[in-house]
Amino acid sequence: GSGGVVAAAMEASELWVGFVGAGRMAGGLVRGLLQAGKVPASNILASAPSDKNLDAWRELGCRTTHCNLEVVHRSTLVFLATKPHILPGVLEEIRPAVGSHHIVVSLVAGVTIQTLQRLLPPWTKVLRIMPNLPCVVQAGAMVFSRGSNAGDEEAALLKSLLSSCGLCEEVPESYIDIHTGLSGSGVAYVYLFAEALAEGAVKMGMPGALASRIAAQTLLGAAKMLLETGEHPAKLRGDVCTPGGTTIYALHQLEKGALRATVMDAVEAATNRACDMAKD
Amino acid sequence: VGFIGAGQLAFALARGFTAAGVLAAHKITASSPDTDLPTVSGLRKMGVNFTVSNKDTVKSSDVLFLAVKPPIIPFILEEVGPDIEARHIVVSCAAGVTISSIEKKLSTFCPTPKVIRCMTNTPVIVREGATVYATGTHADVEDGKLLEQLMASVGFCTEVEEDLIDAVTGLSGSGPAYAFTALDALADGGVKMGLPRRLAVRLGAQALLGAAKMLLESEQHPGQLKDNVCSPGGATIHALHFLESGGFRSLLINAVEASCIRTRELQHLADQEEISPAAIKKTLLDKVKLESPSLSVASASKVSLFTNKSKKN
Repeated sequence: GSGGVVAAAMEASELWVGFVGAGRMAGGLVRGLLQAGKVPASNILASAPSDKNLDAWRELGCRTTHCNLEVVHRSTLVFLATKPHILPGVLEEIRPAVGSHHIVVSLVAGVTIQTLQRLLPPWTKVLRIMPNLPCVVQAGAMVFSRGSNAGDEEAALLKSLLSSCGLCEEVPESYIDIHTGLSGSGVAYVYLFAEALAEGAVKMGMPGALASRIAAQTLLGAAKMLLETGEHPAKLRGDVCTPGGTTIYALHQLEKGALRATVMDAVEAATNRACDMAKD
Repeated sequence: VGFIGAGQLAFALARGFTAAGVLAAHKITASSPDTDLPTVSGLRKMGVNFTVSNKDTVKSSDVLFLAVKPPIIPFILEEVGPDIEARHIVVSCAAGVTISSIEKKLSTFCPTPKVIRCMTNTPVIVREGATVYATGTHADVEDGKLLEQLMASVGFCTEVEEDLIDAVTGLSGSGPAYAFTALDALADGGVKMGLPRRLAVRLGAQALLGAAKMLLESEQHPGQLKDNVCSPGGATIHALHFLESGGFRSLLINAVEASCIRTRELQHLADQEEISPAAIKKTLLDKVKLESPSLSVASASKVSLFTNKSKKN
């Protein structure tokens, strides 16, 4: 059957990758893929209704088109990256061209595997992925789930391709909305925090540009230590707090402001919103 | 071992020492001018020698605990000072009272008084106390070790620098009160959700006891132990969110800070001789005055502390 074709296509350099939709998230993913050198740009084809986004893709060396069907015809691995309300129409359009050799990976927020499988031929290998923006700089966090026909090979392929963009883990589909609240939206929480840190420094007399760079580096460094030491964040926090020192005084302020609860509220709100949007 | 004062602290320590078997009750003497204290009968029942004479306690002790409230300390030192000898180890358990203030007072009577300052807490009564101590100028290493042995029999005991003792007061000195408050509220929660009160109290206390024991016996950070209890989307994490929203952590930090600061304030007030007589229980003060005719107190205005000046009424 098609197993041999898929196996051959699994060789990344032979893999033809297509993107239906060429917006920010797709752009992040493709930049990560290209940076990692897993797939040559010439093997990548992206479609979008206008040239607005496609210019950037051409600059990267990718091929572009305005025809979604062409993407499906010329690719084995097809990423769906349209806006949620556009997707049903697009799926209806490409459905006739989708074969059993295709691997369809949806980046579309709020569209469940069940919906995807309903709108695509019954034999389609479907996976759903939720990336986040820092995929662009190969420091992303992505979770994906597989549909009924996607097997270990497809999951392994996706993981191997995207691990170059950052953390890439398979999860039950129910975690995807939570990932949105934690990490998809989460980057925005971090930007907010970084801005506030810098503002505090500016208040105390440091120039803004310097404060911003230091704030970002502080977050980066702290995150790196968390990831590399594997220690519990509470332990790392304690390590920084010398008795009666500056850090514990500052942390007290954060606790007074119920920062922890507020952050939990934020993750909860974004997750719930993702669930609600999926139902729409 | 002698206790000047026969209140909660003396009772708790005496009970702890005797239960631990480090000291027989008849080797303990406690004194107080106030014989109506409920703890007095408790001490008597234990077999502790009770007397109304502080001087008798001093004479029959090697280790002398000053177990009175901080404002009373200067009166006590004035009263028993003449009987303090070089052999005595004077252990002050009074919050906020510095070693130097005690040494200064005693040095008018005894050139090299051995003073140790100690901060313990009420769970010594069940031998789960938390005690720290700092040794004074003339207290030897062995004196410290002797106290440590005694206090270790009733819980955890370690030596610290004196400047940390106020913080210890805020944390483990006052700590049991925070715990009792928490337990009362936890029990209320249980009752609200349908548990009988007694069972709710019992379970709440056991939960805190068990958690504390786990932490003490574990290498892990309390944050990690907390995570271990929180299954994803489960009951506990929902509850914790409520605690965080209420600023639970900051409340506890505030509490420890407030207790520590207040301790320092009281000590500062004492040094400044600004404690009003109202701060001292009147009956006690009258009885102390009876015992020490050399000491007179200005009743209408400020009490003179830590000086030998006698103010006329």
